[in-house]
Amino acid sequence: MPPKINAAFVEKVLIAFIRDELGRCGCAKALVGLSGGLDSSVCAALAARALGPENVLGLIMPYGRAFPEDVRDASALARKLGLRHETIDIAPQIDLYFAAHPTTSRVQRGNKMARERMSILYDFSVREEGLVLGTSNKSELLVGYGTVYGDMACAINPMGDLYKTQVREMAAHLRIPAAIRRKAPTAGLWPGQTDEGDIGLPYEELDLILFGLVEGHKSRREVVGAGHAAAAVDRVLRMIGRSGFKRALPPIAKLSVRSVGHDFLYPYDRGK
Amino acid sequence: MKIALAQIAPKLGDVEANIDAHLKIIEKARKQKVDLVCCPELGLTGYTLKDLVEEVALDPASDPRFRKIVAATKGLSAVVGFVLESPKDRGLYYNAAAFIADGKVVHVHRKVFLPTGGIFEEAKFFAQGRDFQTFKAPFGRVGLLVCRDFLQYGSNYVHYAAGADLIICISAAPGRGVAGGDAFETSRMWELMGEAVSFFSTAFVIYTNRVGSEDGVTFAGGSFVYAPGGRLVARGSAVDPELIVCRIDLADVREGRRKWLFKRDEKPEAIWRSLERIVRAPED
Repeated sequence: MPPKINAAFVEKVLIAFIRDELGRCGCAKALVGLSGGLDSSVCAALAARALGPENVLGLIMPYGRAFPEDVRDASALARKLGLRHETIDIAPQIDLYFAAHPTTSRVQRGNKMARERMSILYDFSVREEGLVLGTSNKSELLVGYGTVYGDMACAINPMGDLYKTQVREMAAHLRIPAAIRRKAPTAGLWPGQTDEGDIGLPYEELDLILFGLVEGHKSRREVVGAGHAAAAVDRVLRMIGRSGFKRALPPIAKLSVRSVGHDFLYPYDRGK
Repeated sequence: MKIALAQIAPKLGDVEANIDAHLKIIEKARKQKVDLVCCPELGLTGYTLKDLVEEVALDPASDPRFRKIVAATKGLSAVVGFVLESPKDRGLYYNAAAFIADGKVVHVHRKVFLPTGGIFEEAKFFAQGRDFQTFKAPFGRVGLLVCRDFLQYGSNYVHYAAGADLIICISAAPGRGVAGGDAFETSRMWELMGEAVSFFSTAFVIYTNRVGSEDGVTFAGGSFVYAPGGRLVARGSAVDPELIVCRIDLADVREGRRKWLFKRDEKPEAIWRSLERIVRAPED
């Protein structure tokens, strides 16, 4: 695992960040898509502490009756935190779409569902006059394990600089129920899918490799020398390299002397 | 004397709101009979300005908003951070600190070391200052520094050699690293320098850092005052805004220099000769 974090201090920083960002937009409320997994639970708990639970809306968006235990865990968490929450079944619109445009690809179906959930969150963002909080952690962002414009879409992301193993530390600190902390991490795109199966490494090892490469500025050779299998390090490097587009805004073809994204440069928090 | 460190969170790009906040701080300090109040780097503008620099830049000699701050310092001194565009070189923007005392701008320091790399991109948007000058304040000789200036230790040496009793650094230092205690790991770096400089310069080191966040970066607070000899006088918290008020005794400078003979034995001419040789040497 990467070095332990001071979870109480991180909580303080992230609570201040959530309050600052919402305050700048004149928003009192936040929305979190609750999957019943670790990241969204930690994010919701932080938001509840930052804004008061009455100002956080948890949206639980299952596909029909798939993953009933996740829906149960998500609802139980929302009740424990005292959040307002709502369950919306996305099966009708997903089934309608794939009836017209069939596919056999599980990934394609899963991505479509992730984007449907994003679409609902953003619609509720307007209804609630609140901001959508992102739940993608640093491990996922670095290897690109997320659906672009799906679960990666958000107004602000309090979780994006915490490795998955550090999110686990935060979950213990924030007293997230054991049922959520103990389950195998999954993107939930299809039954039986697990993050670690897809990524091909347990998070403990993935995070250590990432920590060496990113924080440690170590070379491939040095990370392998530190005791990681060359195949694992190569796999991680490949995932980082291939997913760069998910971590950047799309390039704009430059034509003029001052262009958006190139040399028309203003802070995100400008005038807020 | 009594000093105050204004560990505040300026509003990004909103000069009017920040001027008002500074006026309130100066008033609050006055009520507490403070002699010197130090506000953070770019306190009138916020830090992550990018192309906003040209919209928030001002000339302290003529800007009516800045004059309000100057007028508010009757009977006390203040250090204020802002973006300078002087009439002498229009179109150039400096990350600057003004020392204002009793209704007059006494000195303006233009930040010399502009961090550019990693999360920093100051040299992309600011012109570079070229000089470190001490000046006479109502209570003693002062050397001003802005943020990174302080971490390049030559800057501290120059102020020390010029006889500064107080080295004042105003800062907008972001926090990095959360594996430590109840502060960002990078806060230690600033304290380390504060402790060392106050010890070996036998001068006071006053460091005001901002708090709040901009574009996801949290500023690390942790403002501090070290007395000559490396004695910690006051320290602000990380993350939270606060007005830190403490007393210092300038007689400690004399006492420190009597006890530790670094200042007496200093040889700036030897340093100068060596530096001159280094500076003139061709790049190999």
